[in-house]
Amino acid sequence: MGTSISVRDLVLSFGSVQVLKKLNLEVADGEFIVLLGSSGCGKSTLLNCIAGLLDITDGQIWIKEKNVTWAEPKDRGIGMVFQSYALYPQMTVRGNLSFGLKNQRLPKAEIDKRIARAADVLQIEALLDRKPGALSGGQRQRVAIGRALVRDVDVFLFDEPLSNLDAKLRADLRVELKRLHNQLENTMIYVTHDQVEAMTLADRIAIMRGGQIMQFASPKEIYSRPANRYVADFIGSPAMNFVEGTVADGAFTCAGHSIPLDGYEFTPTGRAGGPAWFGIRPEHIQTGEQAEAMPFRTEVEVDLCEPMGAETQVWASFADMQFRFLVDFALDLKRGDKVSVGFDPARASLFHKGNEERM
Amino acid sequence: MADTTSSLSGTGSVPQTRDRTERRVLLSLVLAFVTWLIQAVGVGPVLNLLGQAVALGIENLFGWVHIRIPVLSAYQSLLDTATETLGFLRYLPWAALALAALFVGLLFRQGDGFRWAGNRLARKSVGWIVAAALLLLAMALSSLIDDYGKVGKVVAGFATRNGAFLAAFCLVAALALAVIGSSGILVTRAGALERVLVGNVTAKVAALPMILVAMGIFFGGTIWTIAYSFTNSKLLPKEHFVGFDQYARLWGEPRWMVSIENLAIYGVLSLIFQLVIGFLLAVLLDQKIRFENTFRTILLYPFALSFIVTGLVWQWILNPDFGVQHIVRSIGFESFVFDPIYDASIVIYGVLLAALWQGTGLVMCLMLAGLRGIDEDIWKAARIDGIPAWKTYLMIIVPMMRPVFITTLVIIAAGIVKVYDLIVAQTSGGPGIASEVPAKYVYDKMFLGQNLGQGFAASTMMLLSVLIVLIPWAYLEFGGKKRG
Amino acid sequence: MVDIAPHAHQPVADGPRGKRPKPLFSLRNIVVYGTLLLVSAYYLVPLYVMIVTSLKTMEEVRLGNVFSFPRDITFAPWVKAWAEACTGLNCDGLSRGFANSVWILVPSVLLSIIVASVNGYALANWKFKGADIFFTILIFGAFIPYQVMLYPVVIVLRELGVYGTRTGLVIVHTIFGMPILTLLFRNYFTSVPEEIFKAARVDGAGFWTIFLKIMMPMSLPIFVVAVILQVTGIWNDFLFGVVYTKPDTYPMTVQLNNIVNSVQGTKEYNVNMAATILTGLVPLVVYFISGKLFVRGIAAGAVKG
Ligand SMILES: Nc1ncnc2c1ncn2[C@@H]1O[C@H](COP(=O)(O)OP(=O)(O)O)[C@@H](O)[C@H]1O
Ligand SMILES: [Mg+2]
Repeated sequence: MGTSISVRDLVLSFGSVQVLKKLNLEVADGEFIVLLGSSGCGKSTLLNCIAGLLDITDGQIWIKEKNVTWAEPKDRGIGMVFQSYALYPQMTVRGNLSFGLKNQRLPKAEIDKRIARAADVLQIEALLDRKPGALSGGQRQRVAIGRALVRDVDVFLFDEPLSNLDAKLRADLRVELKRLHNQLENTMIYVTHDQVEAMTLADRIAIMRGGQIMQFASPKEIYSRPANRYVADFIGSPAMNFVEGTVADGAFTCAGHSIPLDGYEFTPTGRAGGPAWFGIRPEHIQTGEQAEAMPFRTEVEVDLCEPMGAETQVWASFADMQFRFLVDFALDLKRGDKVSVGFDPARASLFHKGNEERM
Repeated sequence: MADTTSSLSGTGSVPQTRDRTERRVLLSLVLAFVTWLIQAVGVGPVLNLLGQAVALGIENLFGWVHIRIPVLSAYQSLLDTATETLGFLRYLPWAALALAALFVGLLFRQGDGFRWAGNRLARKSVGWIVAAALLLLAMALSSLIDDYGKVGKVVAGFATRNGAFLAAFCLVAALALAVIGSSGILVTRAGALERVLVGNVTAKVAALPMILVAMGIFFGGTIWTIAYSFTNSKLLPKEHFVGFDQYARLWGEPRWMVSIENLAIYGVLSLIFQLVIGFLLAVLLDQKIRFENTFRTILLYPFALSFIVTGLVWQWILNPDFGVQHIVRSIGFESFVFDPIYDASIVIYGVLLAALWQGTGLVMCLMLAGLRGIDEDIWKAARIDGIPAWKTYLMIIVPMMRPVFITTLVIIAAGIVKVYDLIVAQTSGGPGIASEVPAKYVYDKMFLGQNLGQGFAASTMMLLSVLIVLIPWAYLEFGGKKRG
Repeated sequence: MVDIAPHAHQPVADGPRGKRPKPLFSLRNIVVYGTLLLVSAYYLVPLYVMIVTSLKTMEEVRLGNVFSFPRDITFAPWVKAWAEACTGLNCDGLSRGFANSVWILVPSVLLSIIVASVNGYALANWKFKGADIFFTILIFGAFIPYQVMLYPVVIVLRELGVYGTRTGLVIVHTIFGMPILTLLFRNYFTSVPEEIFKAARVDGAGFWTIFLKIMMPMSLPIFVVAVILQVTGIWNDFLFGVVYTKPDTYPMTVQLNNIVNSVQGTKEYNVNMAATILTGLVPLVVYFISGKLFVRGIAAGAVKG
C-alpha cells in the first residue's frame, strides 16, 4: 500500500511560539487516522498545515507522492470538514455543494451527477433546496461532509466535526462516518479530543502533546502498550493506576511489595531496570475468586466507593498510593472492608522515572 | 407565625377580597397621579390643537365635492361649554386621592388591625412619610427660595402649586403600606400594593430621569412640535390653528425646495460612496497587512473632529485663489476650473468631499468589525473550494454581512438628515441659497427668522423622512426577531 | 493491515520546503499598500494644510498655495487666535470659548454618565413593567432629528430660568446623551452574568449597593468608553451650543465658526487655521490617547449591541 500523506520535519511557529515541533507523520492509502490530544496541543494547526491553510515554517508535506508544500489548498486534492460546519449561509444546500465545482468550471452534468451521488450517500436528497439556517446541527454537518465529498478527492480532513452536536447525534454520526470510510476507502484524517471517538473510528491514532506526536499506533496498541506515561494516563477511563518504585532483577519493588514481572515484554532500554512507574489499568484488576488465579495478589482496604451503574469504582490505597479498581455493582463494599485483589503484570506498563518512556 | 399556614393554604375568601381592595387603592393612586400630571404639565393646549386638526380634517373631508361639514365651529363651542361645565375636573386628583384613602380604610377593616411594632413594611412607609415631610418643608420655605434667581422662582412656584397634593399623595401611600404591613396574611406572598410601592420602586425612581426624558422631551416634545406646526406661530408659539397652511407655504418656498434637492443629492451620494469606499477600505485593512493600526488611526481621526473644523479646513483647501484650483493652474493647466465653494452648481459636491473625508473612517471601522466577526472557517472552506478572494467577498461575505450593512445604512441615513454644522462652517448655505439644507432652514426660521410655524413644519417634515427609513428598519430588526 | 512501524518516516527530500516564498513586491501587495498609502495621503492632507497655514505669515499665505511649506515659521497666528481674535464685541480670542467649553464639558460628561449608567443598570437588571416602552422611545430619540425637539427644550429651559446659560447647555447635553449612553450601559450590564447579580441579592444587597459595590467596579472599561464618547461628542457639538447659549457663553466650536466666518474685516487665513487646530486639539488628543477604546466606543455607540 502506498503512502497517502507524508509530513516531514514539519515546524510551524506563530511569531516566536513554536506550535509544531519537527513533526513527522506517515499515512498509508485508505487509512483512517485520528489526531487525538487535549485542547491547544496543535491538532487543528497540523490539519490546517496539511490542508495548506497555514504557511508552514519548515519541513515538507507530501500528498499522494507529490510535494505539495507550496501548493494552494484547492490543488492538494483534499476536502475538509469543520467543527462550525462553515456552510455558506445564504446559499441552498445544492448551492453549497456546487459552488466550488462551478468555480472549477466543471460541466453542469458532471456537477449534477456528483451532487446526486453525495446526496445519496449522505441521505440529504430531501434537503437540497433548503438553506443551512433551516437545518438541524446533524443535517448541517452532513451537508458539510457532502461539500468535501463532491470534490472527489483522495484525502478527507475532519476538524472535530462532531463536537458541536449533542451526545446522541454524535454517536449516530460516528457510526455513519465509519460506514462512509468503509464505502469510499479514502484516506481520512480526523481531529478530536474525545478518546471514545478516536478508539472507535481510527485505524491508527496519533496522540499529540505540545506540538509533537507522542505515539502513533493502532488503538489496541495504544491501549495495551502505551509508549509513555502521558499516553498511558490520557487513554482509558477511568485512568490508569500508577505506583512508584524500582525495577530490578525481574521484579518491581515498592513500599513493602514486590511484584514479579514474569511475562512482561520489556523494551530494549527497559531491561536495565531502575527507578520506575508501574501502571495498571483499573479494569485489569480482579477481585475475589478471580484474583486467586492471578500471578500477583494482595489485600487492600477500601477507602471510598463510587457506584457508576453496572460497576462500582473502588478507591483503596496500595503502597501508599491512591489506587482504584472496578467491582460488580452487586458487591456491597464499605469503607474499611478488606478486599483481596490481583492482576497479571504482563498486562501492566512500566515507565522510566526520568523520561517517562516505556520500559 | 400562626398566619403563615393560613396564607400558604390560602385561597380563602379573605385574601382575595383584600387583593381586590389593594388593587383599588393602587388604581386610585395612579388615577390621582396621572390626572395631576396632566394638569401640572398643561397638555390642554396640545390636546386642543389636535382636536382642531381632527375637526378641520372632518370639515374638509368632502371638500373635493364642495361639501363642507361645519364641525370646526361646533368643536369650538363644544370646547367652550366643556371648559365651563367640566371645570370641576380640576379637583379630580384630590377626589381620586380621597378615594384611595377610603380604600385604605377598607383595607384596615379587612385586615387584623394596625400594629406599628413588628410591622414589616414600617421602614418603607417611613420613606414615604419623609418624602411627604420634605415636600411640605419645600412648600413652607417657598417664599425664601423665591429670592434665589429664576430657578428659585420656578421651584418655589412648583412647590406652592403642587406641594400639598404631592405630600398628601405620599402620606396616603405611606398609610397604605403601613396597613398592609400589619397583616400577616401576605407575608409569604406580596400583594399588588406591595409589589408596586415596595417591590422595585428604587429601580423605578432611579429610572425616573430616563422616563421623564423619554416621555417629556422625546415623546412630548415631538408631539408638541407637530401640534404647533399647524399654527401660525411667529416670534412666540401661538395656539392659532391654521391647518396645513405652513406646509403649503413650505413646499412653495424656493429655499426649501433647494434644501430638499441638496439633501437628496448629498444623501444618495454620500450613502453610496461611504458604503462602497468604507467597505473597500475595510477589505484592504482585513488583508493581514502590516501597520494595520497606523492605517486605521489615520483613516479614523477625522471622525474625532467637529464638523465645524472639517468644514473650515475644506473651505480653505477648496479656496479657488489659494487651494486646489490655484495649484493645478500654477502647474500649467491654466484653464482648470474647480471651485466647489463659490460655484452654485457644484457647491454640494464640495460639501460631499468634506463629509466623506470625515465619515468614511467610521463606516470602515463598522465594516471591519463585521468582517472580523465572520467565522474563520468560512474563509478556510472557500479556500479549499478554490474560490478566489474577490469572489468570496462578493458572493459569500457581503451577503453574510447584510445586518452590518443595514445598520450602517441606518446610522449614515440618520446622520445625513441631521447635517447642519458642516454646511454652516463650509459654505454658510451659499453661494446664495445653493447649499441650503433642511436642518439649516429649520434653525434659520426658528431662531433668526422669527417664523416658528415654518420651523415646526419643516422639522416635522424632517422627522417624517427619518421615520420612513427608521420604521421599516426597526420592524425588520426587532419585529422580525420576535417571530423567528 | 497497516505495515508502517511507529516513527518510521521518510527523510525530507529535495524540492519545495518550508515557507512558500513570497515576493515582496507582488501585485497584491502593490495594490493593497499602494491604495492604502494613497488614501492615507488624502486623509492627512487637511491636517498638514491646517498646520502649515497656521505657521505662515499673511503675506506668505497670499503669495503661496495652501500646500507649500512655510518659509519662516511664525507663531503669531496662534497667539492671535487664542487671545486676540474678535467675535462680535469680545476680542479675547478663543480662550473664552475654550473656558466655556471646559465649563460645559466636565459637568455634562459626569452628569450624563451618572444618569445613563443608573438607567442602564435599572433597565438591564431590575426589569420593571413598561421599561421596554420607555427604552424604545429613548432609542427612537437617538435617531429623531434634534430639530423636532429644539423648541420644546427652549421652553423647558426658559421655565427653569437657565436658557442661554452654560448650566442650561449641561442639562441639554445630559438629555440628548441619554439614548446612546443608556443603550451602551444596558448592553454591557446585560452581558454581566446574572448569577453575580442574583448572588448579591441573596446576600441582601439592595439596588444601590449592588450598583456601587459590584457593577461599577466590574465595568470600568465601559465607563472609559462612555467618557471618550461624551468628551468628543460634547466638545464637537455646535447645534446645541448655538441654540441654547448666548455670545458670552458660546462654546468653542460656535466661537470658532463666528471668528472664521465673520463678514467684517479682512480674512486672516493663518489665524483661522490656528483657531481651527486649537478647537480640534482636545478631541484629537483624546482620540490618539484612547486608541482602540475609541474604536470600541464608536462601534458600541453606533451599532446597537
Ligand atoms: N493564529 C494563531 N496565532 C497564535 N497562536 C495560535 C494561533 N492559532 C493557534 N495558536 C496556538 O497554537 C496552539 C495550538 O492550537 P490548535 O491547533 O488550535 O489546538 P487544538 O489542538 O486544540 O486544535 C494553541 O496553543 C494556540 O494558542
Ligand atoms: Mg482545534
